[in-house]
Amino acid sequence: MKKRIIFHIDVNSAYLSWEATWRLQHGSSLDLRNIPSVVGGDPKSRHGIILAKSIPAKKYEIKTGETLYSARQKCPDLLIVPPNYELYMKCSNVMYSILKEYSHLVQRYSIDECFVDYTQSEDLFGDPLKVAYNISNRIKKELGFTVNIGIANNKLLAKMASELEKPDKIHTLFPNEIEDKMWKLPIDELFMVGRRTLPKLKNIGINTIGDLAKADGFHMKSYLKSHGFLIWNYANGLDETLVREEDIVQKGIGNSTTMHYDVSDRREANLVLLSLAEMVCMRLRNKNALAKLISISIKNSDFLHYSHQCKIQSPTDSTNVIYKHVKKLFDEVWKLEPIRHLGVRVGELCGKEFYQTSFFDEDLLDQYRKIDKTVDSIRKRYGRESIIRGAFLNSGLKPIVGGVGEEEYQMMSSLL
Amino acid sequence: MNFITTKDDLLHSVNIVQKAVSNKTTLPILEGILFKVMDNTIYLMGTDLEIGIKTELPGKINSQGSVVISAKLISELVRKLPDDDVFLELNENYILNIKCLNSEFNIQGQNGNEFPQLPEVHSDKEISINKELFKSMIKETIFSVAKNENIPILTGELIEINDGIIKFVALDGYRLALRQGKINDNIELSEVVPERTLSELYRIASLSTLDSVQISHTKNQILFRLGQTHIVSRLLEGEFMNYNQIIPQNSTTKVKVNVAELLSSCERASLMVRDGKSNLIKMNFINNILEIKSNSEMGTVNEQIDVEIEGESIKIAFNSTYFIDVLKIISDEEILLEFTTSVSPCVIKPNQGSNYTYLILPVRYIDH
Repeated sequence: MKKRIIFHIDVNSAYLSWEATWRLQHGSSLDLRNIPSVVGGDPKSRHGIILAKSIPAKKYEIKTGETLYSARQKCPDLLIVPPNYELYMKCSNVMYSILKEYSHLVQRYSIDECFVDYTQSEDLFGDPLKVAYNISNRIKKELGFTVNIGIANNKLLAKMASELEKPDKIHTLFPNEIEDKMWKLPIDELFMVGRRTLPKLKNIGINTIGDLAKADGFHMKSYLKSHGFLIWNYANGLDETLVREEDIVQKGIGNSTTMHYDVSDRREANLVLLSLAEMVCMRLRNKNALAKLISISIKNSDFLHYSHQCKIQSPTDSTNVIYKHVKKLFDEVWKLEPIRHLGVRVGELCGKEFYQTSFFDEDLLDQYRKIDKTVDSIRKRYGRESIIRGAFLNSGLKPIVGGVGEEEYQMMSSLL
Repeated sequence: MNFITTKDDLLHSVNIVQKAVSNKTTLPILEGILFKVMDNTIYLMGTDLEIGIKTELPGKINSQGSVVISAKLISELVRKLPDDDVFLELNENYILNIKCLNSEFNIQGQNGNEFPQLPEVHSDKEISINKELFKSMIKETIFSVAKNENIPILTGELIEINDGIIKFVALDGYRLALRQGKINDNIELSEVVPERTLSELYRIASLSTLDSVQISHTKNQILFRLGQTHIVSRLLEGEFMNYNQIIPQNSTTKVKVNVAELLSSCERASLMVRDGKSNLIKMNFINNILEIKSNSEMGTVNEQIDVEIEGESIKIAFNSTYFIDVLKIISDEEILLEFTTSVSPCVIKPNQGSNYTYLILPVRYIDH
């Protein structure tokens, strides 16, 4: 069999460079990438954390995941910009469509990472390295941000390769390069070695990826069970997983919102749920998927969080049907106390191509489908609030709430 | 308590009442079977509080009393006893002494008075139904009962009696099974019986040599009686779906088809979809031919059957499991399939008579 050729494309400090690019394109003279700046969770919220940082910010030892508060102490001049997941989704989508030109098999691994199976495309486009430079240049020129590309014979090595030296670099990691390029790296650079596995490995004297690769596989298996065997395989550059076309890492679609004031009126709460359902369902239809599981979550004014879910008879993408279940779920669990935060989520997604019908399907389903389709296309063309539900008129509430949340994409998954 | 019975009789009775014993219970005493001698009768009883089974055990009685013995232990023990008379005697501290030929056991039991009573079902009206009819009514509908509890009422079957007609109806949202038969009693009834009760009843009825089953009910309990065996079950509360409303009265396509041919074609077609959740098979009825197609990454299959089509041609897709479940239990040689559109239910009826009606909802799909 022909050796596979896999690319791993990783956007360099994705959120920050997307944000920077967008600001430059919209007239800002400041490039976020050249000053100490971070993208962080809502700066007003006490729980804001850093999602991405610029290279100058890195010099202040600001780390992804630390609180904004502690980052500000390290660098008082730090510029903090709020995240805009919808923008990131757009950037991710355009990058995906560029990659799709080079292969029929592109897997969106997370919002800022893709795998491309280039094996079949080599006959069409030629030398992988040249094409990788081509892709990298196109993304830089057409989209305005930089990427790292790793080229290897499997997904694991491609991913390891793209992590080697950043930013804006292309690396190969073929079997004969593993020893030179990968084995000397500290062990925590290996995919799937996290802060819990690290001390266990250090305990038995494994400090580099090479140490692990040279260890005995069976010993690793008895020491760390199947995970030990997995990372031992990874250290040796062994991985057979395929590039899956659909982004199966997305398990559900959900939106949630914290209200400006605590809501204790049922009608008002229903409207908020409707505005969330509108967004969730639009995203669901945009993905060409149907959902079988519907859930809601409530956080009350005492910060007590609870949720409730149900499975429905036939998978659906209809706003009306989903909202009906959302309302019922809400009534079943709400304890009438003031609510601070509400969420709507759908899961168990399946394709739209065929689905089992049910006696409990609503008669108007076909009409609903047409209305949803029409409303979606009007909103796409003339903006989200170009057509809204009458219930929101004079309600003081936003008719559609929630962005494309990051939570749906597993940023790091054990599923390669 | 002291009595003598035979191994066979004891095994038979234990097997019957054990069907009501649940192995996952929060009340430890319910893991046992009650042995009770009272009014010159030996009773055995088991219950999980949803369903309770009581039966009589023939034997020679020496004294009264009661004790609860672990169902698991006693059933294994009795099964392994030699074929002979069995002597049972209750001693102090609820220890049951069991003797059979050269074997002797002393089993620790529990106080029989602590065992819950079987709910009394007093009803002046009792319905009698032929046992074989009763069994086939269960067998030919029970597979359509909902497997999950999304809609609790659908985890049971509707038993409806009206104008001398008894109907069993099961539906899970995607398919419906209706079986009807005649009975002599002029009585009205409409109750929903849990699936588990019916499947245990089917097994008990299969063990029994009697010809008929008696049914009586009160507000929330139903009693089935097979001779000296009483099965009491809780009824499901709530409104069953109005099934008459969903059975289409008209059709635009009528197809007469051989059951055995259709079944084997469906089974072959489903070989290609074994892994998929929706088990999609596509049917095309045209020019007196039924074409069944299915495809997956594994491969494709194409089946053709000669049928008699009256009305319009139609293309429709189904979950093959739903079709196979129905076709498996139909004993007729030929059946009628009726359709209206590719998104409305397929009605399966006997070629003659009206003993059964099955509805299967199609799978909606986009034809590429």
